[in-house]
Amino acid sequence: DDPKAVRGGLKALIITQIGGVGLLVGALVARAQLGTYQISALFEGAGQLPAAALAVIAFSFLVAAAAKSAQFPFHTWLPDAMEAPTPISALIHAATMVNAGVYLIARFFPIFAGVPGWQVTVICMGLVSALVGAVQALTAWDLKRVLAYSTISQLGYLMYANGVGAVFESQFHLFSHALFKALLFLSAGAIIHALGSRDMREMRGLGAKMPFVRVVFLIGTLGLVGLPIANGFFSKDLILEAGLEHGPFWAYVGMLVGVGLTALYSARMLTLALFTPGESQKHLHDASAAMRVSLAVLALGTLTSWLLVGGFGGSLAATLPFHHLEAHALGAVIGGILGHLGTWIALACAAVGIGLWFLRARLAVPATLSDFLTRAGAQDFGLGWVNQAIVAGTTRAAEALRRTQTGYLNWNVFGILGALVIVLGLIFWGS
Amino acid sequence: MMNIPAFIWLIGLLLLAAPLIYFSGRLFPKQERFLPQVLTLIAFAASWFAFVQAVLDFQRNGTSDYMIGTVALQMDGLALLLAGVGLLLGTLVTLYSWAYMAPEDEGVEKFFAMLAAMVAVIIGLGCATDIFNLWMWFEAMAVTSYLLVAFYRNQPHSLEAGLKYLVQSAVGSMLVLLGISMLFAQTGTVVIAEIKTAVVPQMVLLGAAVLLVVGFGVKSALVPMHTWLPDAHSQAPSGISAMLSGVVIEAGLVAMLRSLSAVAGVSQSWALLLLGFAAINMLVGNLMALRQTQVKRLLAYSSLAHMGYILLGIGIAVYSGQVNGAEGSLFHLFNHGVMKGLAFLSAGALLYTLHVVSGSHAPLTVTDLNGAARKYPLLGITFSLALLGLGGIPPLAGFLSKWQIFLAGFETGSLGIELLVVFAALNSVLSLAYYAPLINAMYRLKPSDSVQAGKSVPFSMSLPLVLLAAATVVVGFWPGLLHWLTAPAGNALLQILGK
Repeated sequence: DDPKAVRGGLKALIITQIGGVGLLVGALVARAQLGTYQISALFEGAGQLPAAALAVIAFSFLVAAAAKSAQFPFHTWLPDAMEAPTPISALIHAATMVNAGVYLIARFFPIFAGVPGWQVTVICMGLVSALVGAVQALTAWDLKRVLAYSTISQLGYLMYANGVGAVFESQFHLFSHALFKALLFLSAGAIIHALGSRDMREMRGLGAKMPFVRVVFLIGTLGLVGLPIANGFFSKDLILEAGLEHGPFWAYVGMLVGVGLTALYSARMLTLALFTPGESQKHLHDASAAMRVSLAVLALGTLTSWLLVGGFGGSLAATLPFHHLEAHALGAVIGGILGHLGTWIALACAAVGIGLWFLRARLAVPATLSDFLTRAGAQDFGLGWVNQAIVAGTTRAAEALRRTQTGYLNWNVFGILGALVIVLGLIFWGS
Repeated sequence: MMNIPAFIWLIGLLLLAAPLIYFSGRLFPKQERFLPQVLTLIAFAASWFAFVQAVLDFQRNGTSDYMIGTVALQMDGLALLLAGVGLLLGTLVTLYSWAYMAPEDEGVEKFFAMLAAMVAVIIGLGCATDIFNLWMWFEAMAVTSYLLVAFYRNQPHSLEAGLKYLVQSAVGSMLVLLGISMLFAQTGTVVIAEIKTAVVPQMVLLGAAVLLVVGFGVKSALVPMHTWLPDAHSQAPSGISAMLSGVVIEAGLVAMLRSLSAVAGVSQSWALLLLGFAAINMLVGNLMALRQTQVKRLLAYSSLAHMGYILLGIGIAVYSGQVNGAEGSLFHLFNHGVMKGLAFLSAGALLYTLHVVSGSHAPLTVTDLNGAARKYPLLGITFSLALLGLGGIPPLAGFLSKWQIFLAGFETGSLGIELLVVFAALNSVLSLAYYAPLINAMYRLKPSDSVQAGKSVPFSMSLPLVLLAAATVVVGFWPGLLHWLTAPAGNALLQILGK
């Protein structure tokens, strides 16, 4: 069994469990204050809670959400978890599990919104994750890691939407993202299955031999970049418009930069994986019939799921009564999007990103900059170093502690008598 | 005869059975593979009747007392819990050890006699009402456990572990005796309830209390008095490892709390001392376990950490009179007995099939686990359930009792204790870093040569594993099932600690 996969699994386990400690603390504070675990009681009683208790609940839930949804600075486990089989990545690392944190914040938004500093923390977390994820996606060569970084980045958009209070918008983009990212992962799985490698540099000439995968991957990329008529176009624009109206302007500008970066890394990924001409040495097959069925369904979903916006909004409003969400019909939503200036600004940013990719030969990007980004990205912008330092520190402490187990009876008895002296001292000093 | 209450039978039956078991093996050496084991099982079966009767008595009349000569014994909720854990593990370990000890050439009758005696004195220890008899029971428990730890008397490691255990326990016992003497000299009594009301100089009280905490702390493996534990728990036969980790160190803790109740009630400074030990035990236990390559040693260190969780709950209870803390920690005591017992017995079953059955006393290393679940699917499941439960993964038993302790911590409203709870939760996360690789090795790695060459596991060993694994799951889903046992125990603990 691959030791890298084991390490990745252990890392995912430990980091998400640290998030679990956050959720545990929040739940225990709520229970200690209210005497019940009922979420409805927390919603009704939140106003009467001491401000400090509510703040602890709000921020510890945010830690839980960040760890589970792979948000900065807890996002480092997700790329390493890509050693998992690709269908598992599609299911839990794109479509389902990682969304739990974002949903947690969406669900509790009304009671936490008033906690000082909480909303802006959520916004910053989303913004930083969106940008960091995008830059890392830009520098990675491993196809699955690119998708993993892009998941971090897209979840950053969802977190940002939550932060500005756009609960419906975040959940609608969550729905879109689940579809187009599952499509991208499964397409990537078909490629990896055929090629036996995840390195995009080895995918020369692949697209011509896998035309079906090329088409569906392109559709998924449309969703990711947010180009019409894929679902990502509508749901991401809803987030950006809400951000412009309800959030700080600097954050909105940051998210627009993110749109450009998304377009840039998407163009790079698509070109490298499926549109690089060349003669492949291997004898490759396109996706099998069973794979094609799944891919076709997801591709269809990516192109059409936005038609469900009215029903989606209605169900969400019914599910989250405390949020007082307003549901709008499809026509109104589409009209709103198309008539909004922000939509065209976002499209322009995406166009700039794509343009940068195609003009990359003429732009003299300093080699030092791209080198720096590549190296920083590979180290998760220093967080990889922090993770390693924590692991190394714990290991060193454990090794150092082993010296206390000398195996000599004299020292063992010394330990007992030493403890006696210390405890006596403490007790008499304390009394 | 009929006036003797059920709980006295509970102690007496096993105590009387112990010599019978021994002589049966000595007098009928041809039946050595059969007679002592059967007698032990009969004694445990009879004790279960007595236990059920004792529980019914308790639920009808509450705490009951009985005098034997001048020695008063009392069955309260705490004693009942300890009796339940001891009896459960004792019975299952007997069943398990039938096959496990079979490859031994001699002394099997001593093993079973000592096991029965050990459970009897643990139950008796729970019922003691004066500190001298408490110490007597405690020493009797220690004597049975020395012999069982050093059971493989031709193995240098086993003898070394036994000797270290003996010497360190003796140091602890001496401190306890010193504490008792100080109290007796001042008050003229050893009865806990009378010492409580007697007027004693503060210095003597404090000094005696410290001696009791540190002395009993040796047996309940508080860091830094723990250094005997990893050797003793890993060198003993696996059934005994389960007893030592699952109930003996906990019995030491109960003895400490009972004796401490004579001199110190609910107070913040004692709580801080217990909480301090809790924090050190959790951290040292987990860090030491992290780098172990021998499975039984790893489990032994994890017992230190779990002692820390139990102490955390008790410290919270002592700090604030929190019933959730007392109940949660005793619930965890029960769960730890079940889960750690299961872990040691599962590891022991692997040790048996790979080494013991062929007469080897080599330790079970982490690499021995490679691919074990493919050859032994049942052991894979039971060991994994034990490890996940110990790591506090929901919905297994260990999660629920830790949760109750943590909740109690937050109910105190003290920031320091809340931070300690967070520290405890992070420690649980840390513990996954050594539990998870074991499960990974069993399920995902290729079977090692030693696993391939392993023998099959007999039914009498599998049955206790299945029962304990079922308990780990069932208690996790329905924690209320044990409320009848843990709630009176928690109340009893608060009652004895209340001044």
